Amino acid sequence: MDFFGPVLDGFGTVLDPTNLLYCLLGVVIGMLIGVLPGLGPAATIAILLPLTYGVEPVTAIIMLAGIFYGAQYGGTITSVLLRLPGEASSVVTVFDGYVMAKQGRAGTALGIAAIGSFIGGTIAIVGLTFLAPLVASFALDFGPPEYTALALLGILLVATISGGSKIKAIIAAAVGLFLATVGRDGFTGAERFTFGNLSLADGIDFVPIAMGLFGVGEILYNLEERHRAVSAPLKVANVWPAGKDIKQASGAIGRGSVLGFFLGILPGGGATISSLASYALEKKTAKDPSRFGKGAIEGVAGPETANNAAATSSFIPLLTLGIPANATMAIIFGALLIQGVTPGPQLISNDPELFWGVVNSMYIGNILLLIMSIPLIGVFVRILRIRAAILAPITALITLLGAYTIRNSMFDVMLVVMFGAVGYLMKKFGFEPGPLVLAFVLGSLLESNLRRSLLVLEGDPSGFLTRPISATLLVVFVFVAVWPMIKSAIDQHKNRSMAVQAVNEKENA
Amino acid sequence: MKNRLTRRSLLALSAAGAVLALSACGGNVGGGSASAEFPSGPITLTVGQAPGGSTDLIARAAADGMADSLGVALPVVNKPGANGALATEEVAAMAPDGQNLVLLNASLITITPLAVSEEEAVSLDDLDVLMGLSQDDYVMVASTKSGLKNFDDIKNSDKKLSFGTTGVGTGSQLAQELILAQADVEGTTVPFDSGSPALTAVMGDQVQVSTVQLGEAKPQIDAGTVTPIVVFSAERNEFLPDVPTAIEAGYEVPVSQYRAIAAPKGLSDDAKQKLVASIKDAVATDAYKSFNEKNMLTPNEISGEEVTTEWNELAAKYKELTDEYSISLAGK
Repeated sequence: MDFFGPVLDGFGTVLDPTNLLYCLLGVVIGMLIGVLPGLGPAATIAILLPLTYGVEPVTAIIMLAGIFYGAQYGGTITSVLLRLPGEASSVVTVFDGYVMAKQGRAGTALGIAAIGSFIGGTIAIVGLTFLAPLVASFALDFGPPEYTALALLGILLVATISGGSKIKAIIAAAVGLFLATVGRDGFTGAERFTFGNLSLADGIDFVPIAMGLFGVGEILYNLEERHRAVSAPLKVANVWPAGKDIKQASGAIGRGSVLGFFLGILPGGGATISSLASYALEKKTAKDPSRFGKGAIEGVAGPETANNAAATSSFIPLLTLGIPANATMAIIFGALLIQGVTPGPQLISNDPELFWGVVNSMYIGNILLLIMSIPLIGVFVRILRIRAAILAPITALITLLGAYTIRNSMFDVMLVVMFGAVGYLMKKFGFEPGPLVLAFVLGSLLESNLRRSLLVLEGDPSGFLTRPISATLLVVFVFVAVWPMIKSAIDQHKNRSMAVQAVNEKENA
Repeated sequence: MKNRLTRRSLLALSAAGAVLALSACGGNVGGGSASAEFPSGPITLTVGQAPGGSTDLIARAAADGMADSLGVALPVVNKPGANGALATEEVAAMAPDGQNLVLLNASLITITPLAVSEEEAVSLDDLDVLMGLSQDDYVMVASTKSGLKNFDDIKNSDKKLSFGTTGVGTGSQLAQELILAQADVEGTTVPFDSGSPALTAVMGDQVQVSTVQLGEAKPQIDAGTVTPIVVFSAERNEFLPDVPTAIEAGYEVPVSQYRAIAAPKGLSDDAKQKLVASIKDAVATDAYKSFNEKNMLTPNEISGEEVTTEWNELAAKYKELTDEYSISLAGK
């Protein structure tokens, strides 16, 4: 009872009508704002922070957690319907989600994403409730060498997940890695590829690249297509996933929850890598990998589950260690400080009501999100019935507005336009934007951590192999890299022996 | 006659042009006439850092009180980029009508120039500093696993230590490089992207020592997960009264982060007086005072002229010290 007493009291706190109302308010505001790419959860929470000054700390955090969940799901909506991934962790959702929407299965995609997010979130909260103190130290064991190995593995996965030509995917990924080097070098202060432009000193933001390549590129390409053939407005069938869809996606949801929970604990990049790893895992374990990229429901269910589970478990280092795992957590950290609460090792013992209130508000936030999204999916998918002549300019407007809001700069808007043109050309010549964007995100993680590792290890690369976690990750890396070759060798061997067998049978006959 | 007419219309044109330019630069509705009563509409406070960081929170806390005092809205606009150089240069180029302000970090003026090329460095010459706000101190912390308790332990350590900083061209890097050079300690400096990963790395003993801002490190110091070594302020910090300063330990390392509010150069006396009065009102409110306390900020509410003198002196001092110990912040 020592353990469950405070947990149950926490539920009492959350179910207080005022707190429920704030949670609901947060989810709705978050969902609406999350639809604007660029204005992600971090910026939304920062802007709405003053609203929470006047209320109780528990209520304030419950509302902020609600905004966080809502904004996450808002990003999913735009990824599926408009091909606009607002955050790095929803890039892979676009691969199959947008294709599903084009096939008239937008409702199925959004529905399975909502269900997956709910299950992933809930499993992660259960994990947080029981394992938080145990797994928290996992985040501390991850030093620069471990992040280097993880980023390497991530970049390898980028190459394996793309549907089209491998060579083209590698070219796109190489461009992404190059774009990641733009900006002031974080180790020497030297300018790289900035051409003396201060707006490039911090490098290029994720949002202009993703919005341009995916969103604007698609709009331009469709404009050209429409001149050739008049396409009828999309039919939007089955608003809710059928029983067989759920059955098909259930494995992906289960695996995504576990992946997301553990990778989300890592500060920096955890959510993105978990969605990527989940997609790669689903594609590898699928009976027919060729369905991926052509509207496979597991390709939406897995990554969406994983990124929501990761979003939830990223609270673990904040609440138990006082380490903010990402920009959003940093702002929630600041919000807690303003409320006079210091997140950290002492939070559970000093302020159990707040700790469990926050944890339990996540259960409620998740349920509210599911309840809210069921009726809203029907509304959202109707967007697709709008004629392209009207929808395209609105999408372009959202995209440009979103890019502007990142740092109130016209320069970013120009970047979106430029990357839009690049995205159009890429689509025309059969290059996928996915590998470029993901390699871009992982590239800076890889570079800075590799250089940091070599500093810490004093230039001795054998250090990567003597540290248990980085060594394990590197073994996995080698395995993933070599496995296709081994597999094809085995298959060939099998085919040959079967052929030999067939020949023998013929001769015997 | 014709000539005169032309000249007059030219004059009128250029006056209209000036008014247009003013309102365009001001970016405010109703910021049209230069002779209008100040403030003529909402005043924008630009911050060169992302929302949610300590600089942003300070700006928002001050803006709240200033808006109440002036009776106009005072939105905070974030334009992160190049340590704040982007935002500062943009505001410095605006019309000096008092409708556009910028929150300055001292490090941009005093430390960043040591790490970047000369044409990228920002100076105070294009700005009218209105008032100083507060001082944010750096503290050197060691991992508990390393067993380091004070600076002498670091100096006498026979193991080679790694030292984390919050990035290139920051006060964290300058302070740490200076004390290590003065104590003749050999070690590897590892730059992180910001304070939080540098602190996390010390907690996990990925690096043995890091220098971060006090507000970030305080919860961990209180919890005993990291050991405070020295603070780099000139006087002991009121929030960490038991931790010696670097100066007490015998090293000349006076490095802190300071913040101030500034406007484009050439402000009218009326606008300047009203703005300074509003900042004074803002910092006198209880809400702002308790904000400072919660964020471990030491008030340093000095006049704009004092800020300019002090920051320029600090810049010269840091230049002299880095030259003396031949430290280069821009890598080796």
